[in-house]
Amino acid sequence: MAEAQPPTVVEGATTGDIEDEVPIAKSAEDRKAQAALSSLDAPRDDDSSTTKDVDQDAVRKAMDRIAGKGAANGVLTKKEDETKVAVKKNVKVDQADVALLVEELELNKIKSTDLLKAYEGDVTQALKAYVTRVV
Amino acid sequence: MPQVLSAKERSLFQTVVRNYEDKQYKKGIKAADQILKKNAKHGDTLAMKALIMNSQGKTEEAFALAKVALQCDMKSHVCWHVYGLLWRAVKNFEEAIKAYKFALRLEPESAQIQRDLALLQIQMRDYQGYIVSRKSMLQSRSHIRQNWTALAVAHHLNGELAEAEGVLTTYEETLKNPPSKTDFENSEAVMYKNSLIAEQGDYQKALDHLESAGKHNLDRLAILELRATYLTKLGKKEEATKAYRALIERNSEYKKYYDGLVEAMAIDAADHKALKAVYDEYAEKYPRNDAARRLPLDFLDGDDFRETADKYIHRMLDKGVPSTFANLKHLYSSSFKRETLPSLVQQYINSGKSEANEEPKRNGDTSKGASSAYYFLAQHYSYYLSRDLDKALEYIEKAIDLEPQSVDFHMTKARIWKHYGDSHKASEIMEQARTLDNRDRHINTKAAKYQLRNNENEAAIKTMGMFTRAETVGGPLADLHDMQCVWFLTEDGQSYARQGKVGLALKRFMSIYNIFDVWQEDQFDFHSFSLRKGQIRAYVDMIRWEDKLREHPFYTRAALSAVDLYLKLHDKPLANGTNGAADGDEDASERKKAAKKARKEAQKAEREALARKNEPNKATKEGDSDPKKKDDDPDGAKLAATTEPMTDAMKFLTPLLQFSPNSIDAQIAGFEVYIRRKKYLLALRCLLAASALDNEHSKVHSQTIRFKLALDKDLATLPPKVAEIIKSEFTLLPESVSLTQFNNDYLSKYEDCARRTLSGLSARKLLAHDLAPSTDADVVKVLKIDNVAMEEAVEGLELLQSWKSGALEAFRKAAAAKWPNATVFAASS
Repeated sequence: MAEAQPPTVVEGATTGDIEDEVPIAKSAEDRKAQAALSSLDAPRDDDSSTTKDVDQDAVRKAMDRIAGKGAANGVLTKKEDETKVAVKKNVKVDQADVALLVEELELNKIKSTDLLKAYEGDVTQALKAYVTRVV
Repeated sequence: MPQVLSAKERSLFQTVVRNYEDKQYKKGIKAADQILKKNAKHGDTLAMKALIMNSQGKTEEAFALAKVALQCDMKSHVCWHVYGLLWRAVKNFEEAIKAYKFALRLEPESAQIQRDLALLQIQMRDYQGYIVSRKSMLQSRSHIRQNWTALAVAHHLNGELAEAEGVLTTYEETLKNPPSKTDFENSEAVMYKNSLIAEQGDYQKALDHLESAGKHNLDRLAILELRATYLTKLGKKEEATKAYRALIERNSEYKKYYDGLVEAMAIDAADHKALKAVYDEYAEKYPRNDAARRLPLDFLDGDDFRETADKYIHRMLDKGVPSTFANLKHLYSSSFKRETLPSLVQQYINSGKSEANEEPKRNGDTSKGASSAYYFLAQHYSYYLSRDLDKALEYIEKAIDLEPQSVDFHMTKARIWKHYGDSHKASEIMEQARTLDNRDRHINTKAAKYQLRNNENEAAIKTMGMFTRAETVGGPLADLHDMQCVWFLTEDGQSYARQGKVGLALKRFMSIYNIFDVWQEDQFDFHSFSLRKGQIRAYVDMIRWEDKLREHPFYTRAALSAVDLYLKLHDKPLANGTNGAADGDEDASERKKAAKKARKEAQKAEREALARKNEPNKATKEGDSDPKKKDDDPDGAKLAATTEPMTDAMKFLTPLLQFSPNSIDAQIAGFEVYIRRKKYLLALRCLLAASALDNEHSKVHSQTIRFKLALDKDLATLPPKVAEIIKSEFTLLPESVSLTQFNNDYLSKYEDCARRTLSGLSARKLLAHDLAPSTDADVVKVLKIDNVAMEEAVEGLELLQSWKSGALEAFRKAAAAKWPNATVFAASS
């Protein structure tokens, strides 16, 4: 069962993985450095010395504030995103134009679409801007 | 419904996990199989087995198994997490992020998954996502300072400076007692906060913060430097002056402090006297100081310059400082200074001999004066702005006569021969210089480089081998790869490219490409490491450096060389094997020899592999057992055998154009690739960019003509919208003039410039085939242009070679007469 997993399951997985991830550094010195790096891994999490000096109440309050701010922010950015998307949505982009940009400018689909939208779907303007490096 | 394990099997599962952590992969697989015997569809076990298999190098099987695991147990965060880890291991970070997010949805409380996700997000520069992750990590563990700092960094990188500062302030307010003065993490965090304030442009606030919170900061130097900067920005002249004076007291050789001091004192840049006084004060105060004596030479002029330079040169030459010329050569952009400096040295030589004995104040060893003066002049005449190689050689011989054992002098002698174009002799003399001091790594690398320039690849690797780690498997070359010795790989690759060994050359350039990839990946560890260490300022600097990593000249150089090779491959696919001479003049016996050698080497490698197998007890390096590390294409044969050289070139070209758009060579290379791929809009883009950078560049002219010729042929086949853009934006050609006329105008306009004439002639060849013989003859005539440089002549030679012109030999002979020492023009034996 999933609940039966000790929390270390994944922790170990990660360390092992990091080791594997840097296959290039293979001299002894590098390995030493790497070992040092990974042995430093995460002992701090349980470091209680920092906890002592922290006023737990203040932290809680601060967290509430951050959470509140964060939420407000989240909403705010979302709103911004929405308006952006709305603007974008207003622009109709011809898929044939997107395909043209993908083919001729070798941009990916998302970038091509964005480029077209930035020029209100006007493929000529978009191409022109790209070629003359306004973008 | 996922299978449920019994208590015994559950403990067995934990063994699997532990085995994985301890890298006891075989044991782990065994234990996992034991569980699976009874519970063949236990998702978590399957996933763990997949993870272990991946660590054993069986990536494909691991992926297949992980998918089975997911089918068995879609709702297990372990399965999803493993799936993410597998993606991460193959560096597909986007897929990994998706998998982690799934895992996190199933197990929102898992700090580990959250952490892994956050690391990937910052690696991928998904700042929005990183902020969200960091916020939730902070919420679950708000008592740890680094979680606060991390959130601040997230905001900072996302451009929200005020937010970032706010987060740090909030944390500070939660502290009951101020942290101790020796708390390094706090000290760094304070400085980080200060940098945030300054980045917002509020210098007064930054200054106040610095003076209150930074009072006892551990980074004293940063405090002093920042204070001086802020004070200057705020216009507090007196305090800023004082601050900079304090800094100079600490380090009186640092130019930036003097610049800061002068700026703070608000001295008019034209008031040389006042400026000089500032430096004189310190020159007097510190009798051994160099900067205060040298820096005034930058702005002084006329007699003032002469006087100051004379004093400086006397001082340096008396001491026999070898770097005197290197210290002064930046002044050569001014023709007055360029003429004054050698004349001063000449005077020194003329007067020196008599003075050396009489003047008592020149205490100590003055015997070095004369030789350093000759050395200076040799470098002067070898330098490209004041080149006269015969004189240079004369002076360096004089210097060597006085000090026959000097490594520096021999090194310069070798360089002079390099400038003559005699790479063979240059390499010989550099080797001689090396033997003067076998333990000097600098001269060792120089010798190797000169050997490469002379296409002695084997000798070079041997030279380098004197300083590489002896025990590295694969010898010096492998060690140079491990140590990411980019300069060597570049020179080695370019040497192979000159010899037409395309495969090996591409191999080296690919190694450099990969090294940059490694540098990109290297940052991964620092996302957590730097936070733990609390070194946030350095971390942010590093992130910004990584973002523009490939704009480094190392990359540009290797990429341009690689693109060039691919272009040649495209134009003329290799016929005779991958590493043969491109011209096909390598005779059969030599090829046979090479084949024999290759066979021998393969046999040797086999034997070695066998020997390793037979000695399992011998401690093998990890790299050996790692199948990924084995190179199945040591000579780059596969690279050179490409059927799509232009697609391969894009790999190098794309980052080049993205990160070095202001390099005209990059744009020119881009045009060459795009026009061959018939991507006319992109070719035009490069051409327009190149023309905007330097309208007069010789290649811009010939490329313009080639673009027009290509359009005449292909315009009708292009999509109408594309054709329309090209017509409206391609305005580099005048409307009413014919191409031939345009080219002829160009040729007559630049008849004094060899390089541009060559460009015009190459265009003429394309425009009018019937003129071919006369065009070839005109290329030979280029050598008669005054001031034609050797590099330009080499380009002419290459041009004729590419045409397979009959005039080649005539050109070579004429060039050889003009540059008798240059190896490139020597008759091939």
